[in-house]
Amino acid sequence: MIVTRSWLNEFIDLKSVSDQKLYETFNAIGLEVDSMRKIEIDPHVVVGKVLSCEKHPDADKLNVCKIDVGTGVRQIVCGATNVVDAEYVAVATIGAVLPGDFEIKHAKLRGVESEGMVCASSELGLPQMGKGIMILDESIGTLEAGRALNSYETVADTIIELELTANRGDCLSIYGVARDLSAALDIEMKPFEYKQQERMKVGIAREAELHTNGEMDADLRYKLATVSHYENAFLIALRLAMVGVEAEDKLAKLLAYATHTTGVILRGYESKVFEDETEKAIVRPTAKAKGIIEIIGNAEVQSVVGVCQAEASVAHDNTPKLLIEASYIHPDLLVEAVAQTDLKADELYYKTSRGSNPDLGFGLLFLASILDRYTDINCYEGSLDVTVEREQEKIVVDAREISSIVGMEIEINRIVTILQKLGFGISMMDDHVIKAKVPLYRHDIKNIQDVAEEIVRIVGINNIEAKPLCFDEKMRLNDTIARYKAKRAVKQRAVGVGFFENVSYLFAQREQLEKYGFEVLTEALDLANPIAEELNTLRSTILVNLLNAVKRNVSYTQRRVPLFELGAVFDAQREQREVLSIVYTGQAESESVVNSGKPEMIDFASFVEKLGGIVGSFSLRPCTAENALIHPYQSADIMIEGKRAGYLSKLHPTVQEEFGIPVTFIAEIDAEVLMPQHINAKPISKFQGVYKDLSVVIDKALGYDEVANVLASLDLPMLKKSYPVDIYEDEVLGEKKSLTIRFFIQSDEGTLSEDDIEAVMSTVMEALRSGCQAELR
Amino acid sequence: MENLEEKIIQADSLEALERVRVELFGKKGILAAQFAKMKDVPGPEKKAFAEGLNKQKAALQQAFEARYETLKAEEIEALLKSEAIDVSLYGQVAQKGALHPVMETMDKIIDYFVALNFSVEDGPMVEDDFHNFEALNLPKYHPARDMQDTFYFRDGGLLRTHTSPVQIRTMLKEKPPIRMIAPGSVFRRDYDLTHTPMFHQVEGLVVDEKGKVSFANLKSILVDFLHYMFGDVEVRFRPSFFPFTEPSAEVDISCIFCEGEGCRVCSHTGWLEVLGCGIVDPNVFKAVGYEDVSGYAFGLGVERFAMLMHKIPDLRSLFEGDIRLLEQFR
Repeated sequence: MIVTRSWLNEFIDLKSVSDQKLYETFNAIGLEVDSMRKIEIDPHVVVGKVLSCEKHPDADKLNVCKIDVGTGVRQIVCGATNVVDAEYVAVATIGAVLPGDFEIKHAKLRGVESEGMVCASSELGLPQMGKGIMILDESIGTLEAGRALNSYETVADTIIELELTANRGDCLSIYGVARDLSAALDIEMKPFEYKQQERMKVGIAREAELHTNGEMDADLRYKLATVSHYENAFLIALRLAMVGVEAEDKLAKLLAYATHTTGVILRGYESKVFEDETEKAIVRPTAKAKGIIEIIGNAEVQSVVGVCQAEASVAHDNTPKLLIEASYIHPDLLVEAVAQTDLKADELYYKTSRGSNPDLGFGLLFLASILDRYTDINCYEGSLDVTVEREQEKIVVDAREISSIVGMEIEINRIVTILQKLGFGISMMDDHVIKAKVPLYRHDIKNIQDVAEEIVRIVGINNIEAKPLCFDEKMRLNDTIARYKAKRAVKQRAVGVGFFENVSYLFAQREQLEKYGFEVLTEALDLANPIAEELNTLRSTILVNLLNAVKRNVSYTQRRVPLFELGAVFDAQREQREVLSIVYTGQAESESVVNSGKPEMIDFASFVEKLGGIVGSFSLRPCTAENALIHPYQSADIMIEGKRAGYLSKLHPTVQEEFGIPVTFIAEIDAEVLMPQHINAKPISKFQGVYKDLSVVIDKALGYDEVANVLASLDLPMLKKSYPVDIYEDEVLGEKKSLTIRFFIQSDEGTLSEDDIEAVMSTVMEALRSGCQAELR
Repeated sequence: MENLEEKIIQADSLEALERVRVELFGKKGILAAQFAKMKDVPGPEKKAFAEGLNKQKAALQQAFEARYETLKAEEIEALLKSEAIDVSLYGQVAQKGALHPVMETMDKIIDYFVALNFSVEDGPMVEDDFHNFEALNLPKYHPARDMQDTFYFRDGGLLRTHTSPVQIRTMLKEKPPIRMIAPGSVFRRDYDLTHTPMFHQVEGLVVDEKGKVSFANLKSILVDFLHYMFGDVEVRFRPSFFPFTEPSAEVDISCIFCEGEGCRVCSHTGWLEVLGCGIVDPNVFKAVGYEDVSGYAFGLGVERFAMLMHKIPDLRSLFEGDIRLLEQFR
């Protein structure tokens, strides 16, 4: 909503209120100021009276004007075609500095002296107003040649753009904003009084009739008039331009101006679209559905109340007989009804859907005041009306309750004063309690907390003293905090081994997920209104998002891209779970003197080592996960505490090529297994242990995981640890390979004897022989 | 004897000194030979001879030890020198990664409220109309729904547009009093310079007996919180509108870039909007079946906080995994 200072001033006297005070007040009462601009025009820009205007002898498009600028008559060359119609114009005289540091100097245009410039609105920092120069008239005040344009407060105005919250339809008019200011600044509103000149003493009923059909949800009032001449109204055009309202012709401008001023919805119709064969206009408001009132004329829908108007019925400057309609419909009713139709709403719907002004009489009277001034109008007496009985909301307001909501003592008298200024009807019930009748234009106020909001607004939140809340202690460390802390620890570990945390959208491209063999949402459960093709579904893996990030980084010439993300993914049934995804691309370490600037690329072993730094202890076994990112021969399931927790893999070379990135490793782990487990300590042996190596020959195809399984199945309390330390293949071994395993043997009960060691090792060898067909090397 | 001491002093390495030691103190050394002469010394002179010899030995030993210390120190010094490197070459080897600034900011926010004994709650990202809108006093067709352009699923589900449904879920699950925050991702169908389809919020809710929780309490905690986050800033409350709170306010801090002078970031207003808050609307309590309670709620956008705190100019860059941005937060 855009307002201007001088426009507001028509309803509330702002003389004693500075722009700064206005700015602070608006913000304090919840009408947030988006922008505020005082128009400053150089005092050398003055009103000029055009005395003559002749074609330039040497230029078709130029005119040579003689203009009285108060201090004398100046010859000024002007390029605008509309100067020929002008009596009064704005002239930038010699010495004027216009926006953009444009200084007006003596000039010679095609051999003709020019002493100044006739200005268009935009040249003065005013909003654009059609083509050509600005033609002034007395709508802005008395015009005297030589008077500085800056002295007209309607021109050198302050334009204030307010950001209104969705509940404040009542402030979608100059009048409504002025009313709020009146309460906040404690300044009385100027009463609007106008005696309409109904020059024609013919009643409207002679020329028009109203026939309603069905239950009326809308208030309607019609006036009939003939208009023969429209004057230019510079002020109307200027103000509409300032507030960014566009209107096609002069009538449309006057209607839009009256609506912007009063908040009453006004439409102009060609009366003839309603006229029957006797030339009588028959207006038939028809209830189509709850909240949808069609205005029917000659069996055609001419408009829908609060929504739109048929183009053919719109009145124009040349309309001989004009039917003016003021309407109001409750926004809740309207919005719900419109949502269920496919009606195309016009620009007035923004106001009607948020609550227009129900005071139709005020809207029409204001319109009459400007029509009388700027047109030759003959108005029929009286109006045709549809009035809906509306119950005004009544709220019992207890000052003590208001005080407890606000947290500050607020007296009943203060509450009464504020509410009265805001248009509430008040009746006292006792010393603390009143009954407040809510004005119709505040449909958003329904209960005591809504009233409290009004009080808080006007009192000013910044005047409420902050008070800490006293509350009863209670243990509030729940599972969510524990999980959150555990995740934070996981992330810190990843950071510790060099990874950067990535945050990507929860979205993915369905086609990309499908292409790489990942799960996708069942179609019936997928997004109905994705924002973009690349983000058209929920992700079932974070890896693709990470690879996209890697690709971007590589394009910025990053040579080492270690990224992780801990976040949600969704399965086909849209069940949410959390995973930790990790990618590592490129160089295994940063380039430095240590590696002469040529670090090794990341490989399986160093990736696993980094993973260990994040995840803790795990074992690997052949990969059972399946998707197109996985390298079939360098991938593994990650086993934690005997359970499959996720997988890691070298990125499949085909995918690597598609993304155009260097060698990359990936891992995705169920976040659940990373949550800390309760640990009970085992006793530590006091006796010395020994390390023993054993080299065996086994089938080349036999994975260590199977060897490990055999070893794990042994019931040998003295065998504390075993792990592979060497693997060897050559031609002599053929289809076999040599594997060296290191064992750590220790007794909990005493010093080891040679026999103890021998017993363990021979049991081990026996088990490997039978379980893995191993031979001693 | 004096030239024996000279021998010690002239040993110029630990090896040379060791040779001198053998020559002097060894089993076949000079001193041993001197002591061997003892047996030829006549009885009455024996004592004086032995004393003289012991004195000499002690003096030589002292000289030896002093020399040894000197040579050892020289050797260590030489060793140290030989290991000299240009340490400044190695500053680039560091390998630490970094947390994402948005997540780190979220952690900082959570730390504050956990320290004040708020519980942390979470809820699903895929929500339904009841929890995301209806129960929050946002009935169907309410114009405020336009403020939150929503992602819908084909079966009518939706992606939560704010973390507020977690309030509803927590209130349905637990009895008052409640002091909670709900951090998490939220989703709005909006994508331009200043909007991303996903961002993060932290939402707070306090519920206690009727008449206990007031706007003054809300002011108190938020002013304190904003000082914790942004340091010594001015805090301003402006009345606003949210369907789920009444009265509602938006909270601004004095611009941390220009300190209130007016700059591009604060659109020359001197203020930066950082929070929304209010007294919980009675319709919200009605929706979860709470009676005779009062409460306040607030919500904030974590990206906005992170961008302001760290002067990050571009919102969208936060979602691109760009290491050039992330490595600044190491």
